Amino acid sequence: MGTRGGALKAPSSQKLRGEEIMRKLVMIFKGFPQFLSHEKVFKNLLVLPMQLLLNFLLMPPFAIVIYLAFVNWQPIFGGWTEAPFVGVSNFIRLFSEARFYEALGRTLVIAIVAVALEFLLGLGLAVLFSRPFLGRRICTSVILYPMMLPWVVVGFTFYLLFLDHGPVNYVLSSLFGPAGMISWFRNPVPAITAIIIGDIWQWTPFMFLIFYSALGALPKDPKEAAMTLGANAWQIFRYITFPMIKPVAYVGLVIRALECFKIFDLVYIMTGGGPGVSTETLSLYIYRVAFKYGQLSYAAAVAIIVLLGIALVTRIAVRPLLKEAA
Amino acid sequence: MKRKDIAVMARSPVISVALRILHRFTVLLVVGIFIIPAVWLLSISFKPPTEWQVFPPNLIPRSPTLDNYIVLFKPEAPKGTAAAMLRVTEPVTKSFLNSIIVVPAATAISVTVGFLAAYAVARFRIGGAFMPFFVLTTRMFPPVAFAVPLLVYYRWLRLIDTPIGLILIYAGFTLAFSLWMTKGFIEGVPRHIEEAAILDGASPWRVLFTITLPIVKGGLAATMLFVFILNWTEFLYALIFTSTKTITVPVQLSHYVGAVGRFYGPQAALGVIASIPVVILGYMIQRYLVTGFTFGLIRR
Repeated sequence: MGTRGGALKAPSSQKLRGEEIMRKLVMIFKGFPQFLSHEKVFKNLLVLPMQLLLNFLLMPPFAIVIYLAFVNWQPIFGGWTEAPFVGVSNFIRLFSEARFYEALGRTLVIAIVAVALEFLLGLGLAVLFSRPFLGRRICTSVILYPMMLPWVVVGFTFYLLFLDHGPVNYVLSSLFGPAGMISWFRNPVPAITAIIIGDIWQWTPFMFLIFYSALGALPKDPKEAAMTLGANAWQIFRYITFPMIKPVAYVGLVIRALECFKIFDLVYIMTGGGPGVSTETLSLYIYRVAFKYGQLSYAAAVAIIVLLGIALVTRIAVRPLLKEAA
Repeated sequence: MKRKDIAVMARSPVISVALRILHRFTVLLVVGIFIIPAVWLLSISFKPPTEWQVFPPNLIPRSPTLDNYIVLFKPEAPKGTAAAMLRVTEPVTKSFLNSIIVVPAATAISVTVGFLAAYAVARFRIGGAFMPFFVLTTRMFPPVAFAVPLLVYYRWLRLIDTPIGLILIYAGFTLAFSLWMTKGFIEGVPRHIEEAAILDGASPWRVLFTITLPIVKGGLAATMLFVFILNWTEFLYALIFTSTKTITVPVQLSHYVGAVGRFYGPQAALGVIASIPVVILGYMIQRYLVTGFTFGLIRR
């Protein structure tokens, strides 16, 4: 009897449970939009794609770079998981390698010289363009185009300009005679000069644009007041205009300096780091060590040091900007 | 009025005219200097091989030719010496196709992902000050330093020389621009418009897509074009993570520099073709260039 009753009862209770599950499912389904619209869920769903993408691209490589830096592995050795642990010897090699210091120094020199000149030229141009003249709009547009060009194209163009029989040497030889001609890419200093000139040509427009828009947005009153008081043009610029555009100038300098520190394309196309290693920048050095010599472990050590250095500099340099932006 | 009179009277008319002439002359000189490199590139691209390295160099090609452009797309065409030399390399159609697939896809992903995250950052301050800063640092580091472990990782995932692999890299490393630029545009939308809609009972998703999105549409378009330019001109990742199948236009350009000799004419032609789209796009968003290059830290 008991078993029969149980057998009879079972289906109905199962049916009940099934209905309950269905009801719950319907409730969840109906509540789903509300769940999605909950503020916490909403904002986290918005950043989810970014977190997925960045985690996919950054987290595993981050672990790999640390692993690589402490083992000795090159692709020709076989599987990277079987590489022998070598401790900090990659870092010791790095700190005793003259080529690394030279590349670092060279990169700093290029960045400082190029960015300083871009700053001054950009500011000068902006002042020049700040007074109205016929065709100002078109001239402004013309000056801006180098910024949009692929770096590779800029590198190639300046390679053509500085060829032994190129236009630059032609101008030099007609100014100073045959002695004025320079083998730009066979000597380190001229080669770096050519690279810097290419970078200046491409990125002065950026500084110009920043200053040009900043100058255009300035109020006119303080200037006119100073004029009435008899200040000359230099005094007005030094004590009135420049202090007002200083924050903008700072942003431009920081961003250009950090960008210029990464310089790779121009050097790769124009000199390939040569002659020898005499125009090698930090990026090119890492590129060669990692992808030409296949010493990925050593390159990983260099990469870690560079990343730490840049993170520190960025942190210090960007802090005032973030305060302003927030 | 009076102030201006004093200022004008301070200078004698002769000096004022002289200054004006000097000013116009300097402007002309500067514009000339900025044009010359591009003119030289154009000039080489229309020159036959015999004129690539003549001395003294001639700005206007003596016997202009379109061969350099033709051989780019038909290396097998028997079109004189340039074509014969170029037969060793591949036509550029493939690299153009690759760029046309990879760059828009990566741009779309970057701006979409960046816009959604920027909304959360701008409206809810999600992640505090740290997160936008963290995203910004991905742009400050030299890409080659990222590339070292990324290569090992990509070999393991078998993503090297695939469009998907390059698309993900491009999308990820332009995210900083997308996030910061769109964040600026979103912050420009007055909050009370959104709040009114929420009071009317609209869900936050509805507010985001039917109210905020239409307002920042123009800014999003500018961001897209800007990120497109960045991706189109990117060279280092393309150089490292593609070898034969998915090379992009800048890598193709660098190939001609390589071991087989230098083909200045076709190379210049390719440089011209590669530059035209981005220069045009650049002019379309001239107003937003400052915002873009400074991550929206400076707004115009």
